[in-house]
Amino acid sequence: MPNSFQIVVCSSLVPDPLQTLEPVAGPALKNEMMLPAVLDPWAACSLYEAAALAAAHPGSKVYLVAMAPKAKLQQVMMTVAQKVPFELVALDGPLGGFTDAQSTAAALAEAIAAIPALDRSKLLLFGGWESASRGAGVTLQTAGELLGITEQFQGVDQLTVRDDGQLEVLERVEGGRHQVSLCQGAPAVFGWATGNLAEPRNSPQMGMANMRGITPALMKAKPVKLDANGLSYVSAAVPKQTRETRLVRDMPAEEIAREIVAWMAE
Amino acid sequence: MEKIFVLTHVDESGTALAKASLEAVSAAVELAKSFSAELTIGLLGADVAQAAAQLAGAAPKVLAVTGQAFAQPRYATDAAACEALVKAAAPTIVLAPSTARFARVMAGVAHRAGGAIDTHITAVSPSLEATRWFYRQRIEAVVKRERRPWFLLLDAGTHAAYSATGAAPAVEAVAVAAPASRTTVAGTRSPQQGEQTIRPNAKLLFVAGAGWTKKQSDGQVHAADAEKLILGFLHAADASLGSSKSLVDQSGENQATLKFMTHLNQIGQTGATPRHAKGLSTCCHGEEPHVVGWRFVNERRAINLDANCGWARGKADVVYLADAFQVMAKVNELLEK
Amino acid sequence: MSDAQFAVEGQTIERQTMEVDIACVGFGPAMGGFLTTLTREMAAHPDDPALQSRVMPGMPLQVLCYERADDLAAGVSGVVTAAKAIRQSFPELVSSAVPMLAPVKNEKVLYLLDPLGASKRSVALKAGDLLLRGAARDHAYELPFTPEFLNKHDGLVLSIGQFNQWVANEVMMTGMAQLWPGSPVSEALIEGDAVKGVRLADQGVLRDGAPDAGYMPGMDVHAALTVVGDGPVGPVGQSLDRHFGMPFGNQTREWALGMKMVVELPEDTPLTEGTVWHTFGFPEPEIFGFLYVHPERLASVGIFVPSWLKNPQRTAYRTLQHYIQHPYLWRYLKNAQMRSWSAKSLAESGTHGEPYLCGNGYARIGEGSGSTNMLTGSGVDEAWATGMQLAEATLELLREGREFTQENLQATYVARRRLSSVEQGVQQAKNARNGFQTGVVTGLIGMGLAGLTNGKLAVGGNIPRADQQIAPLEQSFSAAQLEKARAAVQQGALLQDALMDATGWPPIEYDGRILVSHQDALLMGGKVQAAPGFADHVLFRDPALCEPCRERTCIAMCSGQAITEGDGRVPAFDREKCVHCGACLWNCAHSTDGKHTNVDFRAGAGGFHSAEN
Repeated sequence: MPNSFQIVVCSSLVPDPLQTLEPVAGPALKNEMMLPAVLDPWAACSLYEAAALAAAHPGSKVYLVAMAPKAKLQQVMMTVAQKVPFELVALDGPLGGFTDAQSTAAALAEAIAAIPALDRSKLLLFGGWESASRGAGVTLQTAGELLGITEQFQGVDQLTVRDDGQLEVLERVEGGRHQVSLCQGAPAVFGWATGNLAEPRNSPQMGMANMRGITPALMKAKPVKLDANGLSYVSAAVPKQTRETRLVRDMPAEEIAREIVAWMAE
Repeated sequence: MEKIFVLTHVDESGTALAKASLEAVSAAVELAKSFSAELTIGLLGADVAQAAAQLAGAAPKVLAVTGQAFAQPRYATDAAACEALVKAAAPTIVLAPSTARFARVMAGVAHRAGGAIDTHITAVSPSLEATRWFYRQRIEAVVKRERRPWFLLLDAGTHAAYSATGAAPAVEAVAVAAPASRTTVAGTRSPQQGEQTIRPNAKLLFVAGAGWTKKQSDGQVHAADAEKLILGFLHAADASLGSSKSLVDQSGENQATLKFMTHLNQIGQTGATPRHAKGLSTCCHGEEPHVVGWRFVNERRAINLDANCGWARGKADVVYLADAFQVMAKVNELLEK
Repeated sequence: MSDAQFAVEGQTIERQTMEVDIACVGFGPAMGGFLTTLTREMAAHPDDPALQSRVMPGMPLQVLCYERADDLAAGVSGVVTAAKAIRQSFPELVSSAVPMLAPVKNEKVLYLLDPLGASKRSVALKAGDLLLRGAARDHAYELPFTPEFLNKHDGLVLSIGQFNQWVANEVMMTGMAQLWPGSPVSEALIEGDAVKGVRLADQGVLRDGAPDAGYMPGMDVHAALTVVGDGPVGPVGQSLDRHFGMPFGNQTREWALGMKMVVELPEDTPLTEGTVWHTFGFPEPEIFGFLYVHPERLASVGIFVPSWLKNPQRTAYRTLQHYIQHPYLWRYLKNAQMRSWSAKSLAESGTHGEPYLCGNGYARIGEGSGSTNMLTGSGVDEAWATGMQLAEATLELLREGREFTQENLQATYVARRRLSSVEQGVQQAKNARNGFQTGVVTGLIGMGLAGLTNGKLAVGGNIPRADQQIAPLEQSFSAAQLEKARAAVQQGALLQDALMDATGWPPIEYDGRILVSHQDALLMGGKVQAAPGFADHVLFRDPALCEPCRERTCIAMCSGQAITEGDGRVPAFDREKCVHCGACLWNCAHSTDGKHTNVDFRAGAGGFHSAEN
């Protein structure tokens, strides 16, 4: 099939963005299992991009390789499953961001390599360029290396498949600009920034269809224990950044403007 | 005994080092000094002769990978080059700047070198404890690693840039055969909005909140006025433009939106955490999840109508309780003068 | 495939349909009881032909549950419950399995005096207060015993959010039911006298519901049995009431808004887990309050603002702030930190508000079915019990090969319900609160009578509709107070705040921890969010009724400050701030038809994202 892809999206789960986070000894997040979780937002963007790409290229398939405690994965899948079609590969592993990225990458790469009938020549490895938990930007690259893929892109906002099969990639670089690269097709790694797609609507039928694969995938989710890889924590704390705030009331706009302009010039 | 190696690369001009590279160099020099460790510098670029002069006095040894194949940032070639440099230097600690170019490859290089890596490092202590943030700048942690070589990717703006002293150092070439790559770099593209987007080098970050597109005291929405005021200010002040998530998200809600706002402007949550000397927030509530994006903005002022907004509770240095429409109109008038 | 077509920019978008066996609406305690009981039996008997799907041969029964909230953990209640029915389902329920769960250890009832002199107290009450003053400590009089009907012997302190999340996991782990959060259901699909399933809310629409980019008409889910557990303000329950009416004489006329916060108590707190306090008397005599202590120094503290508090400018948030600052509570709360905050409407009519419990193709369970016990103030366990009863009935009908007709459901579900001890308690409590319409003292006497005589005696009462319970401004405030408040409103104050100021309530000194602005409570506490692409779910039926409205109760009582003064006299609604408490539904002094208020509360997405409620 010309230009069909096997897209593997890697993702972790992170706390829903408005939650109050507090570290406890370990370190770990206080009440980690209690906090509502969501699919990592950058990885979620990459999942939507993957689905759009697969839809545009018949014969393509999207896998979601997700690692978190099984119960949390199950909850989050009830939302994610309604968004786009995918096949879940579930890893029953830790949730938090304080784990080692390279160990995470090793677990993911192993799971990807074990996907039956995965055509590596068509493999596009997707994920967020960083996560909202560890935020290291290490996992996807390392997983790519472990899978032997040396065409890698980070901070991707756009991926276009040209008529000649070349992939045009826009990566975020310094100065609010994009680096434009051309890659001669799969296999390649794409760490996505936000991309350009809106979050898909919840589709109950999509959910039902995905669920047929999700439930068995969760049932056979492999337990994963991550190696610390020599990493230890000296401290983890929420910084006290309270400033002495000066409240300015009843000052005419003109005077405020003068004060602001003077401050800008300082 | 630790052996410290700092990886640097030339910037787009091809003749100078990227500023973040020079910051990494000063961090490395400092670290090497603190426990009398040996420091080696690695340099990557098509031609490094001119750029190497900026490293004068920093280290006894500068290794370089050069050649047209390494002119442009690309994973396969950059990873091969850095791998060779690390191999040649055989360090225990590798420092590198968190530029787009190095952030793309350094995890792969660490993997190839059999080392460990930590990124977004904001400080490294003489006892080799590294500070970085987790959970979108909500939790600050200090980490240690037993494994070597240990790669530390330093965030830009956390150290002063190195300034050369003395004569240009001798550069020792490290030969690398450019690996086969299926990728060609076509250049860079600026967003069409150009000047309205983020300017990392601007002194001031101007953040517009959702209040700009909400009903004002006359019960009307004044999105067009808001656009004019904000753009006017950006032109006059050469400021970088940021936005709250709610304003960026409004386009999906079909509310009145500011046309030039995109997700690239978002500060906090899934957006950026830029470094600026000053930040001015307008019509934005200043709650914790949004303000985490301000973690590295030094001086903060806010214009808000609500005396109980998050800014007023220790998040900003000064909060002006005023109508941002009126104040910014006056600010623009003053700046135009 | 479709019964309707829509054209958007030249494209035709069809409304999808789907066939399932059992469609459920609303995942709360009642649905927890239903699905736990049903799926356990399905998992235990995978080969039972009666439990095979009729719509998907070869598969188990297709049981789907749609929940409006974005997360199954976004429940809104911290409760103390006798947990008798819940323990029937989970005899081994322990706190290590469900965070924030604690067995009730000590329970007391406190009458709070008003140290500020700002509350509205009758002469009789003031006289009583004087008598009690000597026996009071920190302006609170501790009742020497907890009346038996209030006692939660062997009960549990729970976070409904955490409990729901745990139950949902247990249910889903069986693989026998699917629970879909973020899926508001707009109405029941009614054909003739039968319910044929439900219709999900449209997505990708503008605020007025008109199709927009990404338009997706809400799917029609057809089912042989529709289980409605969407609570007292749920749109499906409402649509059934509109279509089928209510049993003769029944109507939900009394309501309360429960608003509470979950706080982390200071490290040196003397309060221990399992502590339960019920309070009354402050900030207004009509307002009941509570403090429940969970494990790990967490506590739920909150109030109920009832419809019989006739003041049109009742406002729960400010009232809650005064409540927690009562000297008796403040000793423990002043260095506490708000972790979560939430609000919810409670149907306070009990069996007076009971709708038809079943019909052809549907059955109703939980609070929306009038299961709350108005004497004990208990609803969670009762709701759970109704769910269990319906599940048992459903299994019986499936195994006997009988259809889900009104007659069959009546003979199985309703019959079980009527015979249960839960129902007996609810019946005894039927008139327990009637007296509150007359006054607090009468109300308390009525509760006492009903409690001590198992409902044989109660104070009679003529209960007006919710809209008629709201008094005109002039009846609640003096001319001077109104004048003072109006001047403050001119300066930008909110009317409800200005009136509380004018009646002697001190301003709230924010501490950024537990005393925070209303907007901060939304963000820091409730973590309130709303996904784009849904229509406004609060509408004002007849704008002409809003024009002359002076009470503005919908604005004062809006838990999320989502309803505000609009361009003209019709209030504006901001769905991103809505917490779906449903207070607006009954906090409107105007009625279009003698049945409903002028506020239409429909299916909407978003709301709380805090799981500690």
